[in-house]
Order: sequence, then C-alpha cells, then structure tokens
Amino acid sequence: MTEPSRRALLAASASAAALPMVLSACKGVQALGTPPAPASDIRLLRAAIAAEELMVARYAAAMLQVARAGPAPTASANSAVSVSLQAVHAQHLQHLAQLRSRLAAPSTARPLPSPAPPVLPTGAPAELAALEQAEQSSSDRLIGELAGLPPSLAQLFASIAASEATHVPYLRAVGQAG
Amino acid sequence: MTSSAASVIAALQNALAAEQAASYGYGIVGAHLSGARQAEATTDWIAHMRARDALTAMISARGAQPVPASVAYQLPAPVSSAAQAEALAATLEDGVARAYLGLVALTEVALRAFGALQVRAAALRAENWQGFTVAFPGLPPQNLRG
Repeated sequence: MTEPSRRALLAASASAAALPMVLSACKGVQALGTPPAPASDIRLLRAAIAAEELMVARYAAAMLQVARAGPAPTASANSAVSVSLQAVHAQHLQHLAQLRSRLAAPSTARPLPSPAPPVLPTGAPAELAALEQAEQSSSDRLIGELAGLPPSLAQLFASIAASEATHVPYLRAVGQAG
Repeated sequence: MTSSAASVIAALQNALAAEQAASYGYGIVGAHLSGARQAEATTDWIAHMRARDALTAMISARGAQPVPASVAYQLPAPVSSAAQAEALAATLEDGVARAYLGLVALTEVALRAFGALQVRAAALRAENWQGFTVAFPGLPPQNLRG
C-alpha cells in the first residue's frame, strides 16, 4: 500500500467534507497550517483496492495450480473446479474495477508492483479451503468498515461483502462435487 | 451530514415491504418443493418473517406507522414446478437485498451495519437457490460505473 495521493479524492462523493481540502490544496500546504490527514474513506478505499488485487492474484494462482495439478479423481471434476475458479475470479475483477472507478486519481496512474504470487497450499481441497477463508475474512472486514463512508461507497462495500460471502458456499459445493 | 428522520423511515418501510413480499412468496415456494429443499425454504421463510417483525418494531419505535402488507402479491412469473419455485426464491432474495442496501445508504451506524448483514444474508440465500454467485448483490446496474 502506498500513501494516498493528496490529489486523490473520491469520485463518487464530491462531498462537502472533501471539497475544502481540494480547494485549499491549490494554495499550498502553508495556507492550511497542518497538512490534512488523508481522508479515512480514501484510505479505506485504497485498502479495499489492494485487498481485491490480492484476491485476484490468489485466484489466478489457484487457477494455474489446478491447471497444472496432477490427476484429479475425474477429468470433469478438475474442469468443474477450474470453471468455478474462473467465475469467481471474474467477479473479483468486477469488484476491483468498481472500486478503482471511485478514485478520481486512479490507483493505476502510478503502477503498483503486482502483489507477490501468494503461496497456496497444494491440492485442490486445501486450496479451496484457503480461498473460502480469505473470502469470509474479506467480507467481514468490509462490513466492519462501513461507518463514516459516503453512502454510495458504503453500498458498494456492502454489496461486495455480500458477493464475497457467497463465494464460500459456492466453492465448498465445488470442492464436495470434486 | 446525517440522514433525515423521514429518509430513515422511508428506507425501513421499503425494507419492510420487501420482507412482507418475501414472507408471502416463500409460502408459494415451499408449496412446490419437497424434502430437503422444502426444509430450506421453511428456514428461509421463518428468517423473513422474523426480519419483517423486527422491521415493524423498529418503525414503531421511531414513532411511525408500519405500512401493512398487501393481501396478495403479483408473482414475477407463474410458479408450477420446483425449478420455478427456486427461481422465485432467488428473485425474492434479490428484492430483499436491494431494499436493505437502502439502509446501508443511511448515516446511522447501527442501521448501516444491520442493512449490510441483511444484504449478505439475502445474497447467501439467493446463492443457495440459484447455485451461482453474482458480483454485486442488490446493487442496481445504474449504480455501477464504466
């Protein structure tokens, strides 16, 4: 996570709170006295973006591993896992795109180093269990961060949190079917 | 900025209306299912009736009059098979999730958290009925960018 740019502001809510900070930024820091702390909603948004980037990387790694995996119980079981991982991966990409769209200065403006490919437990069941756990904790974290966010960002966080929670039973069903 | 009392009541009434519709609809869902699936429908039905009662109490506690349920509801599609019943359950959950996202837009922290937990619960029930997940439960497409 890099420090939020002072120029970054929430595209979603040109809120009354955010506006003075932007206007006064033109006069330079001196005019402000002490530089303002980055708004907590921008910090939370950037943290959510970083978390989604990591999630996308985890699924990409898992998809690779399943593709390389040794013989599954059946070929169709292996491909069912693969199709499901792709579906969830695609949803995380959608989450990421929406979160990024809420930053006026997109986080892609200054390319972040791509997260190190996470080390995943080997074997599809353990891998799926690790993903389920990551989904659940991400969902819980987002719901814990709603207080103080602008309404439309709070709704996006809540909706993503709900989506991530549904990945848990979805992956579990896939694991059991495999 | 704080949500006005009127907007809080409007969001609660909206959630109540969705829960009333779900409570009605699950009666039809359950009638077309059997075995384990019917038991799941019953569990979800009870959850909706409890949520309906909780919302009724929350509205009354704020000095407003909860809007009573309609006598009957127009179903989005005819239901005469188990598959159609499961599709109806998923549709009901979608409506419930959408309504609770209205609570998430309020500034009151407790209502926001309650709304978010209910959106998640509805999304989980929808996943159980339809067998797949969506990227943005309850969020209308016009709220998405790009």
